[in-house]
Amino acid sequence: MIWATIGDIFSIFFALAGMFFMFVGAIGVVRLPDAYNRLHATSKCSTLGIMGLALAAVFHVGTLAVTTKALMTIVFAFVASPVGSHMLAKAAHIDGMKPWDRQLSDELQQDKDRQSGKSPSNAPRGMKLPGQAKGAKPAGPDSTARMSAAV
Amino acid sequence: MNGLCSTILMLAEEATPHAAAAEAHITSPLQPVLFFILEIGAILAIVGMMLCLYRMVKGPHLADRVLSGDTLAYQVVGLVILLTVRMESTTYLDGALVVAIIGFASTLAFAQYIGNLKRQTNP
Repeated sequence: MIWATIGDIFSIFFALAGMFFMFVGAIGVVRLPDAYNRLHATSKCSTLGIMGLALAAVFHVGTLAVTTKALMTIVFAFVASPVGSHMLAKAAHIDGMKPWDRQLSDELQQDKDRQSGKSPSNAPRGMKLPGQAKGAKPAGPDSTARMSAAV
Repeated sequence: MNGLCSTILMLAEEATPHAAAAEAHITSPLQPVLFFILEIGAILAIVGMMLCLYRMVKGPHLADRVLSGDTLAYQVVGLVILLTVRMESTTYLDGALVVAIIGFASTLAFAQYIGNLKRQTNP
């Protein structure tokens, strides 16, 4: 009786956490401005949300079969979701998807330009870099090179 | 909502110590609270699936549609896990794992397709 109550307390906590992350991920898929930003929300939904709900199942039911399958689901979600998000983001970048017009830098494009011999062309437009908040110079190719050298 | 309240009352009757002593499965007094939270979670998962469908219809790029499908698969996994907690059954988690694996495989396949799309159209 007392152990079932304690298990239900943990189960309520993990179910609330999992529901929160799942719903926030679904809102982020609609509200965020860019496919890369939406992939960020998707990863939170699928790893932390699935982990919370599966741990709720473990603490409420508690048999060996449910525990094994729930842990398998958690491990699979933690392995599969970042791999899928990474491959999808890279494929969208190869396909030439237009990023958000307020993004600061595109380092994968800079690396591709540098490998193909061109100078890095996509300098951040309109916004100042975080390192030069008080600098008088606008952001240009020079600041892009300095930032990538600092990295 | 009426059905929800009657379900909670029925479960509260079941969760009394007398019924718990009679049954083999041990129930706790917090079980109606957990089941109420699970119903809210099912509603939230269904609303999340509708939001993902909205992004799948509207999404400007093909990657948006694919990632909304991935999120939809994981919402279905969450709904099946909620069903597992509600029914206290073992068999539903197999369905959750299968849906997760199929969603991952479809995401990888669509990522390959999107990555090769530009090369195929203008070689």
